Amino acid sequence: MECVPPCSDRPGFGEETPGVPLSSGPPTPLRAQTFSSFSPSKSYSRQSSSSDTELSLTPKTGMGSGGSAGKEAGPLKVFLRQQTQSALEQRGVSSSSEAFVRTGEYPFFTLTAFPPGFLLHVGGVVSARSVKLLDRIHNPDEPETRDAWWEEIRQEIKSHAKALGCHAVVGYSESTSICEEVCILSASGTAAILSSRFMQDGPLDVEHRFEEVVSPGCGFCHIPYDELNIPFPAQLTYCYCCRRYKVPDVLFTTIDLPTEANVTGKGCLIQARLCRTKKKAQGEGNATAISNLLPFLEYELHTQLMNKLKLRGMNALFGLRIQISVGETMLLGLASATGVYLTALPSPGGIQITGKTPSDITYEQHISNMQKKINDTITKNKELYEINPPEVVEEIIGSPIPEPRQRSRLFRSHSESSDEVSELDLSHGKKDAFVLEIDDTDAVEDIHALLTDFSIPAGFYSCNTEIMPGIQNWTSAIQMFTSVRVFRLNTNLTNQGLNKIFSDLCENLLKSLYFKLRSMVPCCLCHLNFTVAIPEDELIQVAVTAVAMSFDKEQTLENGKQSGEKTLIKAITDEQLQFSLELNAETSSPNPLSSPKGLSDVGSHPSARASSVDYSSFADRCSSWIEQLKLKAHTIRRGSVKTTSSMEKASPLPEGRSRSLRSNRSYSGSSVAVVKMTPLSFIPGAKIIKYLGIINMFFIRETTSLREEGGVSGFLHTFIAEVFAMVRAHVAALGGNAVVSYSMKECVFMENPNKNQAQCLINVSGDAVIFVRESELELTSVQPQSATTQTSNGGEGT
Amino acid sequence: MSVELDVFVGNTTIMDKEVYQLWLNGYTVNDAVKFRIEGGVMEECEASAEVLLSDTMDQYRTFQMCERLLHHPAKLANQLLFQIPPDRQAMLIERYYAFDDSFVREVLGKKLSKGTKKDLDDVSLKTGITLKSCRRQFDNFKRVFKVVEELKGPLVENIRQHFLLPDQLAGDYAAIVFFANNRFETGKKKLLYLTFQDFAFCAGQLINNWTVGAVDNMMEDMDVDLDKEFLQDLKDLKILITDKDLLDQHKSLVCTALRGKTNVFNEMEANFKNLSRGLVNIAAKLINAKDVRDFFIDIVEKFIEPCRSDKWTSIDVNLYLTHYTNSVHILDTFKYHAVWTRYMGVIKSCILRMYHD
Repeated sequence: MECVPPCSDRPGFGEETPGVPLSSGPPTPLRAQTFSSFSPSKSYSRQSSSSDTELSLTPKTGMGSGGSAGKEAGPLKVFLRQQTQSALEQRGVSSSSEAFVRTGEYPFFTLTAFPPGFLLHVGGVVSARSVKLLDRIHNPDEPETRDAWWEEIRQEIKSHAKALGCHAVVGYSESTSICEEVCILSASGTAAILSSRFMQDGPLDVEHRFEEVVSPGCGFCHIPYDELNIPFPAQLTYCYCCRRYKVPDVLFTTIDLPTEANVTGKGCLIQARLCRTKKKAQGEGNATAISNLLPFLEYELHTQLMNKLKLRGMNALFGLRIQISVGETMLLGLASATGVYLTALPSPGGIQITGKTPSDITYEQHISNMQKKINDTITKNKELYEINPPEVVEEIIGSPIPEPRQRSRLFRSHSESSDEVSELDLSHGKKDAFVLEIDDTDAVEDIHALLTDFSIPAGFYSCNTEIMPGIQNWTSAIQMFTSVRVFRLNTNLTNQGLNKIFSDLCENLLKSLYFKLRSMVPCCLCHLNFTVAIPEDELIQVAVTAVAMSFDKEQTLENGKQSGEKTLIKAITDEQLQFSLELNAETSSPNPLSSPKGLSDVGSHPSARASSVDYSSFADRCSSWIEQLKLKAHTIRRGSVKTTSSMEKASPLPEGRSRSLRSNRSYSGSSVAVVKMTPLSFIPGAKIIKYLGIINMFFIRETTSLREEGGVSGFLHTFIAEVFAMVRAHVAALGGNAVVSYSMKECVFMENPNKNQAQCLINVSGDAVIFVRESELELTSVQPQSATTQTSNGGEGT
Repeated sequence: MSVELDVFVGNTTIMDKEVYQLWLNGYTVNDAVKFRIEGGVMEECEASAEVLLSDTMDQYRTFQMCERLLHHPAKLANQLLFQIPPDRQAMLIERYYAFDDSFVREVLGKKLSKGTKKDLDDVSLKTGITLKSCRRQFDNFKRVFKVVEELKGPLVENIRQHFLLPDQLAGDYAAIVFFANNRFETGKKKLLYLTFQDFAFCAGQLINNWTVGAVDNMMEDMDVDLDKEFLQDLKDLKILITDKDLLDQHKSLVCTALRGKTNVFNEMEANFKNLSRGLVNIAAKLINAKDVRDFFIDIVEKFIEPCRSDKWTSIDVNLYLTHYTNSVHILDTFKYHAVWTRYMGVIKSCILRMYHD
């Protein structure tokens, strides 16, 4: 069950500001699920640390434990926010964040992609979790209690962001996992400092102190926090691109890779998987047990992520998504992200293994063997992902890092015992080695698992972000798919056994995907979205939705990149254009041609806004709509909505043409139109010329003849195929030929084989669009001028 | 511990040709996996047996879901459930309707009834084709038969349109339907040397020349039945053997033409009356449905076997039949030239096809 945050779309932020130069337009389609800038209506202003709020709130909600585990990434260390909070508070944050603080604004962006230069600095991942008891809500029908819970969590997120010297959270998402009466609320995002250029309505006349820093490709990597008061132990170095500002050694984020980022080589999907058994319990006892487990779970997930990242010779994670699922007897954690090598960040050191009992010779032998394997894997991975950054001499001289000691951090599978060993200095050369100590069997297992992570077959790449860095020249071949697996566990499994099973389940699923899609090679699985659930006590369900996109190896990367960017820009201008068509329909003014409505009217028109806010995915176009309005308001001081009608005429695809398109389609012998589907916001090699609206559908299917329908697999296979078919049919009925930003938000499957029954609920959503192949478009000789002429003509008419 | 549920659904339905063929061949999932492993797909794609099993099960499920659509191929193009590119659809249909020559030889000319279906176990044992595959092929024959049985117009064209089959395959099905409808005997020992393609060729000749549709496209009749009028007229040809003068005249004309052109002239001369009687008798009897069934066996017994025992080559047969057919037109008292041409044209090409050296 997903709790959608109360989306108070507040005016005054990032919209309808005349004078914003937006001629270039954002290069990537802004994508995300919701545009929600969080601003509680109670208009409270946050002055102090939020840690006390959660403490005070906990007893109020009758919770035995407010087990929220905060965690920062970036140079991830277990971060004790409370300790550093005061220091930051005293020091004061950047002027721009002050501006936000003054207005009580901590914008939360669920968007994951932004125009270049929008993100000035990225601090790292901020996350918060809270365990709640659902049966303690006095009025379950009323949202108050739940709102309060989420408020509390957002508070925590905000304070984490603040501790990182950031004033905003981007790539923000919230989720829940419920088992019986226990509910885990989770939120995570990426702390960031945003460019004031894009938010001119705030009192931001003060020059942003980082303004001059914006250097393409590395600016966002520069630390936003004060290096003298680093909120956590981290190793900072000068940026490997500009050599002027400090960067962390690793960077974890929940957003897509910024388009301007300098990346060396290719990226890859990195997953950390963890299963932990838990005693069956009830009520508060259960909540406490879960709360106690959570920090360790998160810590280990992070350790795994870090190890796997290093093993691949990479230094940053994008699109990080950590899911924690709760069952009656276990907790499941799955972290997925796309690892890349950011050129601006230092090269990661190797992984060094040490044994705890060095006396034993065979053991030593074993260790050195393993060490060799690890080193080999790293070398192999660097080749595979084409990571060969230019060797730069590290300049530690004059580094103002307070503690210039070559730090040796120790990451072990069990944090309980990690404090015993902290004085190891195993860094070799200048590189900071990452030390793994193995002392017990499960650590050996872990390292083994680390090494046995199967290597991705030749010709395949994978990522959970929109696109893979280093690949631009996509062909038009795309294949969206959904795969679901349910695994039945034996009882009485140890943690290690469970871990192994869960990890294998995910690995095998990936392997199957690669095998299935082998005909598309070379290709990249993009937006690999894993969802885990524990539908029953001994069942683990993993669902994956992603798109496989073929790319052209022949074409040179340079060319590919250029054409790719061009495409995106083209698409966005059109997106805006197409969007305004909808606006026209929506405002439904009785006489559009003489409508006196100005822009500001539209902006504050409650009904018009409300209707758009209702559609969650509609919202991500809202921003482009807003940009469009801004642009219009800037150029012509009337911005009557009716211009859209004239723009319709100027649409590059005149009515006649679109009709002919459709007839062409039916000519191919079948009356069924082909509808493409993709979880991404774009279709390679094509231009989206019109958005037709959101598709959001819930389906429930039940069978009482499970065996006759081919068992559970047969039942679900048919159901998913039918869901796809219904989505396609809907889109085709709207006149569209593709669904973008498709996602399967819910897939709840229940079975009772003894009764020969099964039920399934699926919720899918996406945007119906009309796209035209770029090759076709060129034939129709689009004249971009016509659009502007038409618009200004419309203006004179007012 | 087990995988309880495992599905993969693509927006464009992924179908592996190789697995499809294994499915069509009626292999179980496990056998199919074995075949695939032997085929070396694992090394090629760095997959494991587990992955192969999962993929195979998934594909099998997809094919099963598609099967009911394949029964009415036109529906495949108009259904919404599976998004399959047109070339893939064509492949699916073509392969689904493809059949094994060894299987079709077993049921060719038999009534496509439940009784025959029950005997498929034996056919399966005999041919080594899995029972599942036999059933599919049999059901395909039956389905095509049922659909085109009542349709007007050219048989091959009807089949091609209703089942979206390529020309060659549509022709083969036309032959199967034609044979089933007329119940031609093909299973006798003497006929076993003939392949399905031999029969299909003959069927094509018969359909194109001896059915109602062959002479008159406008006729509201079907291609599956022989032209009754024509069969009636064939009786008139008997004069060629009953009239002693005509027979002798015919023989001398043929012999004059053949003399010195072949090594087996003496045998030809000696056998002329026998062979001629055989061919004309076949023609005269075709009005009886029972004799129609024996058409092929009669040709073999009355013509092919005597020639073969005299060691005629195909060239000899061709030469003989050419002169045998043409000489009739020189006979003064013979009046049934049109019927003769229509009859002998088919007989000649059938015999030439069926005459294996």
